[in-house]
Amino acid sequence: MSDDSNNINLTIDGQQVSVPRGTTVLEAARSIRIDIPTFCWHPKLKPAGSCRICYVEIEKARTLMVSCATDVAPDMVVHTASEKVLQGRKAVLEFMLMNHPLDCPTCDKGGECDLQNLTFKHGVDDSRFDFKKYRHIRDKNSTFDDLRIGSEIIRNQNRCILCYKCVRANKDIFGEQDLGAYQRGNITEINTPPGEQVDSLYSGNLVEICPVGALTNTDWRYKIRVWNTQTVDSVCSYCADGCNLTLWKDKQKIYRATSRRNDNIDEGWICDVGRYGYQVPMAEDRLTTPLIKKGDSQVPATWEEALGLISEKFKKIKDERGGVCIGGLISPNLDSLSLHTFSKFFRMVLNSNNVDFRAGYKMLPEKADDLYSKLTSLPFKISDIEKSDLILVLDSDLTKEHPIVNLRVRKAVTQKNASLFALNPITTQTGGIATDEMVYNIGTLHALLNGLCISLIDQNLTQYENARDLKNKLSPNTIEEASRISGIDVARINSLAKAITEVKNISLIAGELLTSSINREQLSGAIINLCLLAGIFDKGQVGVLSQAANSKGAEKLAVMPHLSERSILKIKQIWDKYPDNDGLALDQMIRSSIKEELDSMFIIGSNLMLEYPDGAVVKEGLEKLDFLVVADICETETTQIADVVLPLSTWVEYDSSFVNLESVEQKFKAAIKPVGFSLPAYQIINKIAQGFKTPLFETIDELIPEIKTLLQPDDSQNSFENCAIEYIEEKQNPEFEIPLLITNELHHFGYFTEKSNSLSNFCSEAFLEISPGLAEKLDVKNGSIIRVESEVGKINLPVKISEYIDNDVVRAYRNFSASPVNILQMRKRNIDRVKLTVVEGT
Amino acid sequence: MIIDSNKIQKVIDDSPQDKKQLIMILQNIQLEFHYLPKESIGLVSEYLGMPQSTVYSAATFYKSFSLVPRGENIIKVCKGTACHIKGADLIIDQLYAGIGIKPGQTTKDMKYTIEVVNCVGACAMAPVMIVNDKYFGEVKCNRATKLVKKG
Ligand code: SF4
Ligand code: SF4
Ligand code: FES
Ligand code: FES
Repeated sequence: MSDDSNNINLTIDGQQVSVPRGTTVLEAARSIRIDIPTFCWHPKLKPAGSCRICYVEIEKARTLMVSCATDVAPDMVVHTASEKVLQGRKAVLEFMLMNHPLDCPTCDKGGECDLQNLTFKHGVDDSRFDFKKYRHIRDKNSTFDDLRIGSEIIRNQNRCILCYKCVRANKDIFGEQDLGAYQRGNITEINTPPGEQVDSLYSGNLVEICPVGALTNTDWRYKIRVWNTQTVDSVCSYCADGCNLTLWKDKQKIYRATSRRNDNIDEGWICDVGRYGYQVPMAEDRLTTPLIKKGDSQVPATWEEALGLISEKFKKIKDERGGVCIGGLISPNLDSLSLHTFSKFFRMVLNSNNVDFRAGYKMLPEKADDLYSKLTSLPFKISDIEKSDLILVLDSDLTKEHPIVNLRVRKAVTQKNASLFALNPITTQTGGIATDEMVYNIGTLHALLNGLCISLIDQNLTQYENARDLKNKLSPNTIEEASRISGIDVARINSLAKAITEVKNISLIAGELLTSSINREQLSGAIINLCLLAGIFDKGQVGVLSQAANSKGAEKLAVMPHLSERSILKIKQIWDKYPDNDGLALDQMIRSSIKEELDSMFIIGSNLMLEYPDGAVVKEGLEKLDFLVVADICETETTQIADVVLPLSTWVEYDSSFVNLESVEQKFKAAIKPVGFSLPAYQIINKIAQGFKTPLFETIDELIPEIKTLLQPDDSQNSFENCAIEYIEEKQNPEFEIPLLITNELHHFGYFTEKSNSLSNFCSEAFLEISPGLAEKLDVKNGSIIRVESEVGKINLPVKISEYIDNDVVRAYRNFSASPVNILQMRKRNIDRVKLTVVEGT
Repeated sequence: MIIDSNKIQKVIDDSPQDKKQLIMILQNIQLEFHYLPKESIGLVSEYLGMPQSTVYSAATFYKSFSLVPRGENIIKVCKGTACHIKGADLIIDQLYAGIGIKPGQTTKDMKYTIEVVNCVGACAMAPVMIVNDKYFGEVKCNRATKLVKKG
């Protein structure tokens, strides 16, 4: 019966099964639906064989074997439920319960605990150990032995069965070192080293994989029993990775979010922003009714009043000055139905192309089919990252932008031996596992990429036929010059060039700094050159990653002006017409408003006052409008100045979809009813359209085929040509010389995450990250207040000294309403520069 | 007790900078201070470029390391099976009466620490007590305190 192929035949409980060599007995059994219990086994972790519950009997073996760590062998005969196995299992349970407190009634895991379920199944109702149980006592005055080991994690050591899943995942998957097992034997405990906390972005996963109630989350504890909740399939709304979630709710309240494993995307892990982000919709201060500005205050109104006013005003502007005098901005965190309806309203009802979603970008492109859009439309798959031999990360602090892509990159490097090169203006956490992390002088990435191209050409490492021609189009055009500008040694550039040509499969990943940069086109061109020279288009994938949960959807649904011919064609195909005006991108809308050419704006879900660079200009623009309508879930700096404020439902309150950075549309379901009188954006928009007597849809089913057409992948092949790339040093005002980077804080993606208690527990205020060297120079310590001043604004921020920052830059974090750092940014500057003054007395 | 971290650093600096020598470095520190002062975990982790959790695991895994200050004289009372049966508990009680501390504790003047250990391989002369490195066999419980003072 033996086999010469790579498959192995064996018998499990009398059934024949054939599985690939290297499969474990456990996996083989599960493949034919025979269940073997496990505690320490996890599909994404290496087997540890530490709990012994997965015992099986293998004929000819002397003892029971742990099935999770035993590979199949030809002609093996396995019994998974023989008398001996059951006895063994029961004994394992008896040992586990030896010191276990059996406090199921007060344990939050009760009802979904593997230990409880197995004990129930195997009927271990009595113990032969009649001595006093060992107890890890945390507090003599309390019945509960709870110890907070992380901002949101409570540990009860007595319940721990020492499966080490938490420690293993933390180390092997997340690359964190803040959890370990201490002492030994009976008194072994899982804990942080003294003085530390488990507070990485992935900490909540440790709770999720704990098979018992030893680790619990602060949000879920003692609030509800699991059997009183219902689950709803959802998708995370906080970044473009698109992790799948399960929401656990009862009536109008959501109690927690857990991962709904999708191996193409998240592999069963989610970041803490996604895990605790459900608390935002639960916020106390949601907007629940429309508000209309009367005099100096905004007073509650009915939907009829508010919608009546909006339709009347919009109609008047349209009739008198044209629909192009109204601008529309919608957040890319919104669902596909809403984004599509928004575009349809502007294009079909107002006959205007003034729609945009790009509130976070500097200086938006004003023409279609630019290099950047060409790059972003290339197919990219998160799961293909692990097929790469080499991963090149450009301009992205992955942990802070794409936590799950980051994990896939980690996996490729630590488990599949891929090499990683990270090119960033600051040291990043991901870079810690890189073969080489090149921290270049800020703003010089295209010079560095030129250097890389030249290196490929000069070392004769390219098959690209127009290489010589390309070289003449580059400036700098010697590797020495590129090295001088970027601050990266020639040797390092050369060895990266070599590495790129030596591998078979590459993933090139570019992130937010590129997308939001005003040098977007030049950087995209430089990437295209590199891909042409190194053949990356043919041997791998290029991902310029979109940021928000539905940025990709917004792009594909054409929620922006200046569309490519192809997109215009698609729109004509579904709506039979297309407005014959250019349309204004967000930038232009703000400028037109300052010039009083734009009369009104309709903003949905975007806090422009906090998001868009150059806060002062935004303020001036919005205040000059005759009529500003803002729909959002809570009051914001932008709703405060609106003429009409509309209460918006969040994504957990209706059915729709997001399109993740791989262009995969993922549907999600409503978990609760709309809060107060709030409505989903697509309904609000349709109601306004009804005021024009041109409803956009009767039922949402009508929109589905339209959306489907727009989301269809472009099968037309993109052809790429090499580009002239010139590095020009940006002029700077010598008074402001320190470059400032603005990014997401680790636990705050979007301006509402402050409303999540858990996320605020991780971090509740903005700060300025500076290098130890600079701290010494300024003579400041953590918490000292610094005044950060740019040419256009100033703000005070507490200091945090960080080893990730190099001497010559500082980093600040957006999304904190008390510290709007966007007022420091200048729209037309590539690099924001500031000067720092220590505020005395801190 | 306050221990100058510079002193700890000095002990560390005199040891080889090699991850494999972790245990030895911890031993050296303990030799100097009779225990592992809190700061030593961080300092060793930095010196060896090892996560604190790993250093802490090792420091807690081995019973011979102590993370709390210990007296100049370490009294070990064997509580292995043989010694247990032969009255180790009585020795412990007597020591409590004599010097006022229980296993795991240290006298206020930092002179004595009592620890309980498992079989030390001298069952034939149970019950066994070890004071510093001196073994006492067939200990009569009423003489325990005297032996300690003598040893
Ligand atoms: S805390 Fe939970 S996951 Fe960690 S070792 Fe204990 S039982 Fe396993
Ligand atoms: S924020 Fe991004 S990485 Fe985190 S759970 Fe949501 S989709 Fe996943
Ligand atoms: S699941 Fe196999 S030993 Fe734990
Ligand atoms: S039991 Fe004490 S020496 Fe063996």
